[in-house]
Amino acid sequence: MNTTTSFCLNKSGKFALTLTMVAILAFTLVSLSPIDPVTAYLGMDRIQVSTAQEQLIIERWGLDKSAPERFFHWAGNALSGDLGQSMIFNEPVTKVIGKRFITSLWLMASAWIISGVLGFVLGVLAGTNRGSLIDRCVRLYAYTLASTPSFWLGLVLLSIFSVSLGLTPICCATPPGISPADATFWQKLYHLILPAATLSVLGVAQIALHTREKMIDAMNSDYALFAFAQGETRTGVAWRHALRNVALPAVTLQFASLGELFGGSVLAEQVFSYPGLGKATVEAGIRGDVPLLLGITLFSAIFVFSGNLIADLLYGVFDPRIRIGSEEAR
Amino acid sequence: MPCSKLYPLGPIATLALMVFMGLVLLSPSEVLAKDTLTLAVKGEPAEGYDPTLGWGRYGSPLFQSTLLKRDESLNIVKDLATRYELSGDALVWTVTIRDDAKFSDGTPLTAEDVAYTFNTAAQAGGKVDLMSLDKAEAKGMTTILFKLKKGDSTFVNRFISLGIVPKASHGPEYARKPIGSGPYRMVEWNEGQQMIAEVNPHYYGEKPFFKRLVFLFTDEDTSFAAAKAGQVDVVVVPQALAVQTIPGMKLHPVKSVDNRGLMFPILPDTGKTTDKGAPIGNDVTSDIAIRKAINTVIDRKSLVEGVLEGFGSPAYGVCDGLPWDNPANRISDADPETARKILADAGWKDTDGDGIVEKDGLKAEFTIIYPADRSIRQYLALACADMIKNIGIHAQVEGRRSWDEIHQLMHSNVIVFGWGSHDPIEIYRLYKGSLAGTGSNNAGFYSNPKVDEYLDKAISAKSYDESLEYWRKAQWDGKTGFNAHGDAPWAWLVNLDHTYFISTHLDVGVSQVEPHGHGWPITANIQKWKWID
Repeated sequence: MNTTTSFCLNKSGKFALTLTMVAILAFTLVSLSPIDPVTAYLGMDRIQVSTAQEQLIIERWGLDKSAPERFFHWAGNALSGDLGQSMIFNEPVTKVIGKRFITSLWLMASAWIISGVLGFVLGVLAGTNRGSLIDRCVRLYAYTLASTPSFWLGLVLLSIFSVSLGLTPICCATPPGISPADATFWQKLYHLILPAATLSVLGVAQIALHTREKMIDAMNSDYALFAFAQGETRTGVAWRHALRNVALPAVTLQFASLGELFGGSVLAEQVFSYPGLGKATVEAGIRGDVPLLLGITLFSAIFVFSGNLIADLLYGVFDPRIRIGSEEAR
Repeated sequence: MPCSKLYPLGPIATLALMVFMGLVLLSPSEVLAKDTLTLAVKGEPAEGYDPTLGWGRYGSPLFQSTLLKRDESLNIVKDLATRYELSGDALVWTVTIRDDAKFSDGTPLTAEDVAYTFNTAAQAGGKVDLMSLDKAEAKGMTTILFKLKKGDSTFVNRFISLGIVPKASHGPEYARKPIGSGPYRMVEWNEGQQMIAEVNPHYYGEKPFFKRLVFLFTDEDTSFAAAKAGQVDVVVVPQALAVQTIPGMKLHPVKSVDNRGLMFPILPDTGKTTDKGAPIGNDVTSDIAIRKAINTVIDRKSLVEGVLEGFGSPAYGVCDGLPWDNPANRISDADPETARKILADAGWKDTDGDGIVEKDGLKAEFTIIYPADRSIRQYLALACADMIKNIGIHAQVEGRRSWDEIHQLMHSNVIVFGWGSHDPIEIYRLYKGSLAGTGSNNAGFYSNPKVDEYLDKAISAKSYDESLEYWRKAQWDGKTGFNAHGDAPWAWLVNLDHTYFISTHLDVGVSQVEPHGHGWPITANIQKWKWID
């Protein structure tokens, strides 16, 4: 058996196992939740609905069956690609996730790229010039923001830039009265600025601090010393020798942070009324929409798993030693 | 240096200026033509705009029209219907509809569509309760027969609340692409964000003033911020924010039956439980003297001032200001002297000097429970506990996070509930003895044979007008009833005013007394709204 096939088998085995565990765990937790979906659905209409009608709703949602029965029914359908019907959106779960994810994708992608690029640049700058003013500024920035909750930062940014200064929009993904299809690229970008900035801030701090550490190590390494001895400048060493070495951990970290990005977007979307997957997750949780919540959980598991897988694959691309090592092992 | 000539402010400041100018250029133009109205009044139906699942129960169904509707003073008036009458045995409604109504896709609205709508909604398992409907049958193009399983005078409310959908194009996709005979038709709905509607060219009624409506579905804080930034013309605000001012907007408070009250367990605690294991009964509140004394001592006016910032009115019943309200419900309250006398006459005395009255060794103590995330209910509970302390009754106030927890406790503790509906069936469900302990109905296990008799008569009345009298008698017939003069199973506290800020240029006419639910109900008469320069 060659390495590629065994790698694929190994990964897909782990993938299947992860998804199964996530599904079981999520379903158990949701079943134990004290939320009664019918009460959440009816809300203020509770008293105007007779018990007979309540029974009709319970039957429509299949809540009259026992929890294990519901789980196996759901799992069977899920295997054939049918994640069921969302209770609160009255639409197939896959459709809800698809629609919402496209909106979130803009936000997450921009935040991910900004935090990755900016974090890496700041980390390299700080690590190269350790102890300098720029290093201290970057560290101050990173420590402060790494300990800032993203929703709080979102509120602060919102109240400064949108409410007081009126520079940025208050909510939503497009201007009021204009549909996403008619909105120009600039309008979309304009509505993206604050949420993306909020979401990327946390990522920047992480990447910057890690890259800085690795950069300091690289600048103090033997090969860096050798290059200095040959008359290379600090910038030269950083650019020609250290950069490639620090890129690897940064890339790993960046792809591994997809999970955090997902979690962060739940909070950021809530603050900015950005109608993406994060907002749908909160709705599903609050109102006990089991099919949707399970669907989103599975989706996020796939999302995070793919992130880690890409990081694994990129190792070989960035670091010839890993590639050659695995070829030699064969 | 040439650099400083190129950037007189320095490179960084120049960059900042450029970014700033870029932002200014990007910002959308705030001036919308005045035939477009932007509203942030909540009310987004997550499951879509399908009346058979419950869309349009409050406010305007917007895209659909109903057989009947309620006018500004809540009288029933005709909409699609031209005639409606109930048979002598009160089991068959015959409704004739106008023949010129068309759906927004141009197809005519016929009796078939009406019958289809009612039969579908009855089976759908949504928020529309049509349990008393046997079936609806179309007779010809414009006549529909509604056969009921049993007499139900509240059935007329379904004619008011259920929007008619086209049989031909109704299906699973309908909720997201509604087609109806209402004043507006949907242009686009971006879920979680906004919905755009424009005038339905086929609408049979008077053409609305505003050609285009934009509904923003943002949460409270965001909506308020958007209003301050001048981006919306109508915004719903919580009472606590109504004291603020927004430039270019005026406050529009609307009376409502969105009420709050204390529900008392009526039975003594004999150790009985429901089939779900919830304990039933409370020895203190089962004494009518306690309930009457609390009703008498509570100062409802100061609750309105203190808790609602003045945006509300004292509540004396469950349906203040509605056609079936009984004016005799009004009592003179804020009267500790009388309250103390009621307690003393019933044998409640403070013998050990701890400030709490006792009777037969039982201290006048109970717990008031409110849902923890509702701040108004919390303040009401705390204020009431303070007021009744005056007459020697000690109430402990506790917030609970989930409704399921409250459902376990609601048969044995005092609960701060909120109701208020344009359908008198609510009264039946809150006070009918035989419904005690089912769902959220009659959680206090109140039961009075005379009241039950009036409630049954009201339900089986031959007409809506005839039923009104029985609803009133169930509250108080001069001798008995469920109001504070009678058995006092509740202490109603306040009716909320629903507060909105609207543009100073906007004329919204007369708003209805709104039901429970603060936001969308203001749209009830939206086709009459006008812009004044």
